[in-house]
This record gives sequence, C-alpha cells and structure tokens, in this order.
Amino acid sequence: MAFLQTIENLGFSQWVKQSGSLWAFPGILLMHTYGMAVLVGVIAAIDLRILGFVPAIPLSPLRKFLPLVWLAFWVNAITGTMLLMADATSKMVNPDFGIKMLFIALAVITQLMLQKRVLADPEVDRRPLTANAKMLAVASLVCWLGAITAGRLLAYVGSSTGL
Amino acid sequence: MSALYDILSNTSHVHLLLNHVPTTAFTVALALFVAGLALRNDMLKRTSLALFLIISAVAIATYTSGSAAEAWLRGTNPMSELPPNVLSNAILEHQDAALWATLWMGVTGFFSWLTLWQWKSVRRLPSWNMPLVLVLAVMSFVTMSRAAYLGGHIAHVEIRPDVVKVHQACLAVVDEETKHPGSIANAPANCPWQAAVDQVAKTTGEPPPYQSTARAVGDFVIGHTWMWPTLETLHFVGLCLLFTTVLIVNLRLLGVMKVVPYSAVYQLLPIGMLGFAVNLITGMLFFLGIPNQYNANPVFYWKISFVLLAGLNTAYFMLADDTWRVESNVDAPAAPKIAAASAIFIWAAVLYCGHMLPFIGNAF
Repeated sequence: MAFLQTIENLGFSQWVKQSGSLWAFPGILLMHTYGMAVLVGVIAAIDLRILGFVPAIPLSPLRKFLPLVWLAFWVNAITGTMLLMADATSKMVNPDFGIKMLFIALAVITQLMLQKRVLADPEVDRRPLTANAKMLAVASLVCWLGAITAGRLLAYVGSSTGL
Repeated sequence: MSALYDILSNTSHVHLLLNHVPTTAFTVALALFVAGLALRNDMLKRTSLALFLIISAVAIATYTSGSAAEAWLRGTNPMSELPPNVLSNAILEHQDAALWATLWMGVTGFFSWLTLWQWKSVRRLPSWNMPLVLVLAVMSFVTMSRAAYLGGHIAHVEIRPDVVKVHQACLAVVDEETKHPGSIANAPANCPWQAAVDQVAKTTGEPPPYQSTARAVGDFVIGHTWMWPTLETLHFVGLCLLFTTVLIVNLRLLGVMKVVPYSAVYQLLPIGMLGFAVNLITGMLFFLGIPNQYNANPVFYWKISFVLLAGLNTAYFMLADDTWRVESNVDAPAAPKIAAASAIFIWAAVLYCGHMLPFIGNAF
C-alpha cells in the first residue's frame, strides 16, 4: 500500500490527476478511447469475418491491419498505465480492475492464437474455417466485450475518482 | 461576421433555422420520391433516398437544438420566467411530438440508407424495400408536420384556436359598435392580441401541467442506477463497430490492402451502421436523461455539427459511382480519396467532441 501511495504521489501522477490541463487526464483518456476504438474495433471486425459475416473480404489482406491493432494495444497499455498511476491506491485494490486485466490477458492470448493458427495460415482463404477458429473468434469477442464493460464500470464501482 | 456569430451562438436562432428543414425539405424529398416511384426513375429514387438520409441527420440536430432553445428561454440555473405569450405546456407538447417525429425520421433514414446500400450490393432490391420506405416517409411527414404545428403554438398567439376565437369575437363587437355607435355598452375601442390571451387564460384557469413523455423516459434513465453505465458501455461498443468500419473502408480507399476491391469492404458498412444506430439510441437516452448537460454545452454543439457533416459524407458514399471503379489492386481516384480522408477526420472529431463533453463543456 505504501508503494502504491508512493506511485500516486509522484509528480507525474499528481499532474495527471490534478493539474486540470486538457493534456493530462482528459487527453490521456482520449488516447485510451481512440486506442480502444481501433484495437477492439478492428479485432471485432476480423472476428466477425471469421464467424461468417462479410464473406466478400478475404481474411489474409486483413493482416495488413495487425500492426495498427498492436499499435493501438501499446497506446492503451501506456495510457492505461498513466491513468493507473494517478489513481493507484484505489484502482489496484478494486476487484473490477482485476477483472478487466484478466479479460485483457485472455483477449491477448486469444488474439495471439488467432494470429498464429488462423491468420498466419497462407491457405486461410482457400479452406473453410475450422470450428476451432470460430471458437477463438467468439472467445475474442466475449473477452473484449468483458474488458470494455469492466473498464467502463471502473468509474462506478469502488472508491472511484475519474469519469 | 460578428452578426453571424451572434445568430449561430443563440440556440433559439439555430432551432428556428433548422426546424424548417424536416418539414419543407422533407416535403420536396417525398415529392421527388413519389415521382421517382411513379416514373420508375432510379436517379430520382436514389436522390430522394439520400435526401431522406441527410434530413434525418438534420432532424437529430433539430431535436437537440429545440431542447437547447427551451433552455435558452427558461434558463437553467436560475430559471427565468417564460415571456407572457409563451405557454409552458405548449413547449412540452411540441417536444413530445418532435420526439416521435425524430424517431420516425430516424427509422426512415435508416431504411433509406439500407436501400441505397442494397442498390449496389445485391442484384435485386427486395420487394418490401420501396413500399416500406414510402410508408415510413409518410409517417415521418405526418408526425413532423404535427410537431411543426404544435411548435408554432409556443410563441404565435395568432394561430392558437382559442385565442383566435376570443379575438374575432372582440373584433365583431368593435365592428358592430363602429357601425351603430352606442349599441353595445362598454364596447372596447380596439382588440389587442394580449387581451385575448389574457381572457383565455382567465376563463380556462391554470391548465393542468402537461405530462411529458420525453421527461418520463429521461426520468427512467436517471432513476435507475444501472441504466447510465449500461448505456455508456453500449455506446462504447457501438463506437468500436462504427469507428472500425470507417477505418477499414476508408483506409482501403487511401491505399491500405489494395488487393481487396471496394465492393468487398463495402459489405462492412452495415456493421458500421449498426454501431451508429446503437450510439444514436443510447445517445438520445443520455440526452433525454439530463438534457441540460448538453443544452448549453458548446462541445455538444460541435459534436452534432460533425454528425451532420458525417451524414453528408455518408450520402456521398451512397451515391458516388467512382468508388465502384476501385477494383482489386486499383488506386482510388482523387474524389473518393478526399471523401475517405474526410470521413476518418469527421468521425474522429465526433469521438473527440463526445469524449470532451465533460472536460471542455459542462457535462457531469
């Protein structure tokens, strides 16, 4: 707890939380929202394609969007860490935050499996998709939906300060 | 320029400016649509469908500006007294009528969009399509006309039937007295409208307060603690679906994954439209819940302006033919590229404004 308090007392954490600057809390949260839109949006589009929506788009060209997905992931990892630092003492003991991290961990594992087993396959557009691929897509959608829900609820459960 | 700024920063003015579009422009669009159906002219049909789409976007702005106009008139904190010729109940009744009209207009806009989308993506339009849009458009026209009629009653005493009746009775008395002086005892010398308004108010007494549906829906939203977070989560999910569609379709036009033809990414658009529909519904529920959070909020004003631009941008993509020449491994022409870059900018701006509502504006 003392460690969390030290982090929260850092000059940077205090700036994020209390400076009132648009570049601090609002700006960091904005980048987190853009990151979420790109990360979850593009992954959801690929998942829906695997589940049979929009069959006209072949899967392999969608690989071109993966660097964008991972860019968005790292933007959110960094901005998320900044937001966490500003509110470490309450967020780290909030069970909802643990649930969010669990969903994200599972979603990232699912995404890596999807990339390795489905998207990386050079024959992916020539063969019907396996039931396993579809299961992974469903798991991915569920985990990201869970992460968004848990993330939004962070503003409501526990002793929260942010929006 | 400063006069223009004064006009556009007065939300009552903005409402007066916008509120003629869903009635007059819609009449023109409906006439074009019926003509297109009668003449079997595809150009007319597509143009009027695109107009329905744009006008339904304007309807959103009209509804929200109406709420802002009310806040301008009543004040928020402190509340100011309404001018003597303005009826509080008339505002609320007009607002409910406008809410229904906006709902019908939104559904009309959605199916107009779907028809335009199917025009290029399916070989034959389903047979229910055009009749459905016609029925919806007529319903929009009827409900919007009612909203416009009731809106007139808010400040125009000269069209309120009860006031007109009293006023004309007074005029008859004055006329009789002029023709035969001394025939009527205590005849008034003239008939000011305000006297008629006052007399109506005196004879009917204090009217019972109007039960507003808009307020009832809003009270439901803020009366349940689970509502707001649920709506927010859905708003986020909708945002992801919408934004990703915008990115994939427009980045293809700008040159990413060129192997995929435009006709294939076009198939994604219903996913984006689903996201928009979710966000429009959840967004309207936020608005009905705490209207004053948005009424006097400049960031919300910008957000709605960008949604209007997005409507125009969408209409371009629904009507343009040069995007369809973008086959596999073909670079898009300049016009679709400009529209694609604008689309990404506009939707990113909508997201920016939405996010900044509490930080730059006064929400929450």
